[in-house]
Amino acid sequence: MKKPYSFFWSKLALKELLNNRRFSIFFLFNLALGLAGFIALDSFKESLDIHLGKNSQAILGADLALTSYVPIDDKTLGNLESIFPENTMSTQKISLFTMVASKKRSVLVQVTGIGEKYPFYGKMVLRESGKVIPEMVLQNLDFKKDAWIYPELLLMLNINEGENIDIGETSFRVIDSVIDDPSSSMSSFGFAPRIYLGLNKIEETGLLSKKSRVSYQYLYRFPKGTELKVLVENLRGKIQKFDDSFSKIRVRTHKRAANSLGRVLGYLNDYLGLIALIAVFLAGIGAAYLFRNYLVHRFQEMSILMSLGATRQQTYRMVLWQLVFLGTAAALISIIFSLGILPLLELLLENFLPRGFETNVNLSSLVFALILGSIGSLVFCLPVLTRIHSVQPLMLLRKNNGNHGSETLILRQTLSYFPLIILSWILSVWQSQSFIVGSAFVGMLFCSVLLLGSMSWIILMFAGKLSQTSGNTIKRLAFRNLQRNRAGAISCFVALSLGTLLINLIPQIYQGLQEEISRPADFRIPSLFLFDIQTEQIEPLKNLLADNKMNLNYISPMVRARLEKVNGRKYKSDFNEGLSTRERQREQGFRMRTLNLSYRTKLSDSENIVEGRKLAGNYDWNSDMPAEVSLEERFAERMGLKLGDFLEFNVHEVPISAKVINLRKVKWNSFQPNFFILFQPGVLDDAPATYLASMGGLDRLERMNYQNLIVQEYPNISVIDVTRTVERILKISDQMVLALRFMAYLSIMAGLVVVFSIARHEVQGRLWELNLLKVLGAKFNDIQKMIQIEFAILGICAGLFGVGVSLIMSYGIAWWFFENLWKWTWQTSLASVIGVTTLSVIVAWIATRKTLKSSPLNLLRSS
Amino acid sequence: MLLEINKLYKSFKQADHGKIDVLKNINLEIHEGETVAVVGQSGSGKSTLLSLMAGLDRQTTGSLRLRDKEISEMSEANLTQFRAKNIGIIFQQFYLMPHLTALENVSLPLEMFGYEDYIFRAKEALEHVSLSDREKHFPNQLSGGESQRVAIARAIVTRPSILLADEPTGNLDNETGIQVANLLFDLVKTTGMTMLLVTHNTEMAGRCSRQMTLQYGTFQ
Ligand SMILES: Nc1ncnc2c1ncn2[C@@H]1O[C@H](COP(=O)(O)OP(=O)(O)O)[C@@H](O)[C@H]1O
Ligand SMILES: [Mg+2]
Repeated sequence: MKKPYSFFWSKLALKELLNNRRFSIFFLFNLALGLAGFIALDSFKESLDIHLGKNSQAILGADLALTSYVPIDDKTLGNLESIFPENTMSTQKISLFTMVASKKRSVLVQVTGIGEKYPFYGKMVLRESGKVIPEMVLQNLDFKKDAWIYPELLLMLNINEGENIDIGETSFRVIDSVIDDPSSSMSSFGFAPRIYLGLNKIEETGLLSKKSRVSYQYLYRFPKGTELKVLVENLRGKIQKFDDSFSKIRVRTHKRAANSLGRVLGYLNDYLGLIALIAVFLAGIGAAYLFRNYLVHRFQEMSILMSLGATRQQTYRMVLWQLVFLGTAAALISIIFSLGILPLLELLLENFLPRGFETNVNLSSLVFALILGSIGSLVFCLPVLTRIHSVQPLMLLRKNNGNHGSETLILRQTLSYFPLIILSWILSVWQSQSFIVGSAFVGMLFCSVLLLGSMSWIILMFAGKLSQTSGNTIKRLAFRNLQRNRAGAISCFVALSLGTLLINLIPQIYQGLQEEISRPADFRIPSLFLFDIQTEQIEPLKNLLADNKMNLNYISPMVRARLEKVNGRKYKSDFNEGLSTRERQREQGFRMRTLNLSYRTKLSDSENIVEGRKLAGNYDWNSDMPAEVSLEERFAERMGLKLGDFLEFNVHEVPISAKVINLRKVKWNSFQPNFFILFQPGVLDDAPATYLASMGGLDRLERMNYQNLIVQEYPNISVIDVTRTVERILKISDQMVLALRFMAYLSIMAGLVVVFSIARHEVQGRLWELNLLKVLGAKFNDIQKMIQIEFAILGICAGLFGVGVSLIMSYGIAWWFFENLWKWTWQTSLASVIGVTTLSVIVAWIATRKTLKSSPLNLLRSS
Repeated sequence: MLLEINKLYKSFKQADHGKIDVLKNINLEIHEGETVAVVGQSGSGKSTLLSLMAGLDRQTTGSLRLRDKEISEMSEANLTQFRAKNIGIIFQQFYLMPHLTALENVSLPLEMFGYEDYIFRAKEALEHVSLSDREKHFPNQLSGGESQRVAIARAIVTRPSILLADEPTGNLDNETGIQVANLLFDLVKTTGMTMLLVTHNTEMAGRCSRQMTLQYGTFQ
């Protein structure tokens, strides 16, 4: 016998879908809505990657940069540059953080001295003079004491262009403001606005020797076709062989610079992605439910096909075809939806976006959408598909075909959920770019689905009991209907409660955080934070403040050092280019840092020892014992250090060995000067140090006045306005939360579509029954009331449990990640229970209104 | 010999672990061109017998040979092919595909096996059941009698060796039933097809060349 021509089965499949138009439309809409957020986010991410990739050179301003915290001498630089190709151009940039003062105010800024050729790529644009060309740097910045500043500084310093500002020991004239420059692509995100000076003029500020951290950057532009990778490897090889502080020279390529710029937004994106995934998941539940009913009604037709000679595989394949059709179509629709969501996303994330960034739907997002749509719908419906195995053409000869759940069927049913779990897992690890976060997310998701599912099961049993005792017929019927249609009720319940959970979880976690950041229990946040205080400035500063009836708190020395050896072996930060997950990237950055050491006679009230004993008193230089150090708990973990380890530090070229005596826990949100590494007193006292200190209890005006006072007297001391910074953090995190909530609302929308389609389907399935009730004398209102009771019960239960689980989860998360920053906001909880209940009743009402109104006359028509 | 049934038994397991013997020691031979009626009360096992002959279910013991092939020994895949080629089935409830037109319903088994002339042959079959003017109609636009005639056309369009009909007029009113029966017998006569007809209509059974009565699971 011959084979049918190739399109026969797919044609048949399509015909069936067209014939079941209502199912197809709901399935499509439901899935498309769920996918839309995901696709929009993917396009967004992709656009960001493309943008950063395209502009990476403009972000660094060069092909490659060497960064060091000490100036690199000519010999060393010559050595490194010797491997560069001919015609390489070079320029230089020096930056540091410091205070600048106008007559009236002072602020913390980043001062950057630039060479004339900066930048090689991208552009620097001034408001008055337009695009910067080398002559402008030479004639203005390098020649005169002129400064270009970020426009927001005009306001912050309350000055106009043409006026003077003090930087360190020198006065500069502000001649223009910068509206675009290479690395500022991430708009207002940086906390310290930037000021540009000439390279030689930055030396005249006198700050280079007084600042604890000055970054010297040597920038290069290579001729076209230069292999960066090889160059970088060679450079690193050379640098590794340097011994002193030059071994810490960092090589940065333009690609890496772009990556780190994208990281902040990357994190946010990751979490947005996870929430969008929940929307996909909810839509999947709805799709699977719809498909289940569709499939059950197709069983008879499948039997007919099989009795006419179709094999089981062929009918199976036909259904698969249908799913692929629908999934692909849904993906196409979701792309259209996502075009509507994209501008919204852009609006929500405005503050985090690089300048000149544009979102576009990319081809890769499109392909991804199609794959996710088709494979996703297959995977979601697989548990339902296994039912096809119970289809027998034999049932055509029988009235009732008893469908015995054999063991193989149950096994198959269980197995069929695995692809779903695996797909969700892959997606969420990929979305969060983190194995741990992704796995935790999937784990939590499935646990909550399981938990909510079994809870709804119990509720339904209870409803069954109630239906036997409750007096009113309408109520009794409502309870019984709930219990009878378990699959529908459980799907509704899970979808609604998962949505509620999500909407509650985000603000619930955030609330605690916000509370703690702005008002940490038992602590008063300092108002100002002072750093870069020189040793000899401590006493006079204290006196100056005392004259103004003000105290300097928590004065802490800070000594810069590098970790050289651990237990006698060289400490490696294991460098490697292809970093995959966010955790590894962060860890890497962490291990490469230069460390700040401090010492204090007794612990501050924001820290306590969790392991080990207290450090001994003053160190005795005559003993052979190593010095005693205390490490912050999480720091030790990330650096891979343990209690009892022997460490060797390089403190300004003096080797100092120390033993880890205890681990500390620090309340960082106390905003007090705290350190990862604390030495016992007496070890570091003679090492060159700068000091940190804080001042508390100041209002806005006082903060401004003290800042001005300090900067006038000691221009090298930097002052951070903590109160303002906290406000700023909260504002930015508000915006992030808004974006996250937006995604959460999208997911509850998906949940409501599930309710809509299930309600509609249920009522249609019960049509003759409802009509019978009417014939028997039930009023339209009674029947409507019955439906409303059903969905109100579902809504209330789903709301309550959703909120309940969100409270438990947020508590867990707070406990695990944020050390117990948890507070119940009952208003949100109450509002969401009421909201979900009302919405579910309304949606059910809309979905069933028309069907309920149909005349019982239909009873006679349909057989 | 077209069909040969020998010592056929069929029993069903019950939920309470007991079993009921629905068919006991069935013996039957059907020659090419014969029309055999199986009559019996509701629940006597007629449909069960038909389902075994159609290879839709498997017997407990005994042998069932169609065209010298033992049906119970065929694999599921082979059986499906064998059935499509050799057996046409007509059901009491017609069972037309609701989303296909009359013509598409009839051509379905041909298309499934890649006959190129499927349209022509389907039209021909519809002509045989005098429904040429209803080609483009969907099942819900057809009356019961017309639906069953489409189903008959679909059953004969592959020119099977044997036609199995399970109470084909059971869902129709008397008059329409008689019309459909007339059509069915005319068709069988002109094509010389073999038919096994399950019915409890004695008048219809009388028009067959042979009658068998099934009672308590065996032929009387
Ligand atoms: N799958 C089954 N399991 C148990 N009993 C069955 C099954 N199929 C049919 N029967 C029983 O077999 C008997 C014969 O049924 P059937 O062949 O449909 O009778 P008829 O078609 O003559 O009315 C009935 O008593 C019926 O209950
Ligand atoms: Mg029967």
